[in-house]
Amino acid sequence: MREFFIPKKGYRVVFFIGKGGVGKTTSSAAAAIALAESGYKTLIVSLDPAHNLGDVLMEKLSDEPKMITENLYAAELDMEKLIKAYLKNLEESMKHTYRYLTVINLEKYFEVLRYSPGIEEYATLEAIREILTKGDEWDIIVFDTPPTGLTLRVLALPKISLIWTDKLIEIRKAILDKRAAIANIHGEQEFVVEGEKFKLPTREEEDAVMKELKAYREEVAFVESVLTDPEKTSVVAVMNPEMLPLYETERAYESLRKFRVPFNMIVMNKVLELKDDVPELKAKLEAQEKVLAEVERRFKGLEIVKIPIFPEEPRGIEKLKDLGGIIVGR
Amino acid sequence: MDDKKKSPAENLKAFLEGFFGAFKHSSTEYLEFELRELENVFALILMGEFVGIPSPPTTLVIRLLPHMTRELYVMQRRAVEMDDILGELAGLFEIT
Repeated sequence: MREFFIPKKGYRVVFFIGKGGVGKTTSSAAAAIALAESGYKTLIVSLDPAHNLGDVLMEKLSDEPKMITENLYAAELDMEKLIKAYLKNLEESMKHTYRYLTVINLEKYFEVLRYSPGIEEYATLEAIREILTKGDEWDIIVFDTPPTGLTLRVLALPKISLIWTDKLIEIRKAILDKRAAIANIHGEQEFVVEGEKFKLPTREEEDAVMKELKAYREEVAFVESVLTDPEKTSVVAVMNPEMLPLYETERAYESLRKFRVPFNMIVMNKVLELKDDVPELKAKLEAQEKVLAEVERRFKGLEIVKIPIFPEEPRGIEKLKDLGGIIVGR
Repeated sequence: MDDKKKSPAENLKAFLEGFFGAFKHSSTEYLEFELRELENVFALILMGEFVGIPSPPTTLVIRLLPHMTRELYVMQRRAVEMDDILGELAGLFEIT
């Protein structure tokens, strides 16, 4: 078995990334089946809003892990539902805190938040984080991801979030310092709004905002530490022997390297292999040869596995087993 | 008329309290101004999403919002009353 599939520190996280339609779901499902067969307790999670993991496994899935075979569990996350639950939760706590603050039109704020840029990515990251915090329940967690663009942004988020959080912590520290200096001279400061009195916190330990900032930083740092650890995370790119997927894989390779997320292998899916000469497909075969040569040249040192086109779509556990064997290298 | 009953020492004490109180107040004038600005900026950064400027992680914004009463209040007052920053600065530095 390829060593980047083997759990070394507790559990192993494997992301399957790639352009839409190249066969991420099929490859990831196949790999998960093969890993489960080898005796690892495996969870496969689909993060793609357009779910088809259930179709590939021929099972009905939900956001709770469902046992498929011995050692193999599968789940499909419903992003829409996640976001809604998320905002609902917030709305409750906000209404409670702000019931005296009528100047703020809460409903409008939430409408904007629901459609604010990036909320999908953050919800996806949040979902990944939740699965990772309970990672010890599994030996291997396989993620079937949405098309490359979204996935890359999600994988880049922890780093970006850390930068934001650190900056905000800095400003918050300055605020608390100023408050403490004023309180030193005038005594404890109070803030009155619509008849309700608050004590203005001056110390980091009693400031709810600072506490929340630090808690968030810790959570993100945890995800970041898992994602950038080659002993814990591996990324497998799936592509077809065509130029466009090649460009996209190359971009993914570059940006993952920038965020220090390990990139381990390329699954070259749907490779056309003909026994006889078919003149109509000659141009296609030549183009394919060119891409295959390019891939060898551009991704030196990376493991590249070729999967031929199958006469029929591989669906269902039995058919996926062999395919998975090729991917994980048994 | 109560003042007459007070001893001179007490009068002196009240006077000194007022005297140093004024100093105390003016000593933190700049600090308070700076604090208000910082609180305003902190809230603005978190609320940037609403006016389309790059904003911190939505998750973080959502989690901080419930604790931001004071900062939001300062920000809204700044916006609604269109506080005259130049005027305030001029007052602060005693430019007339």
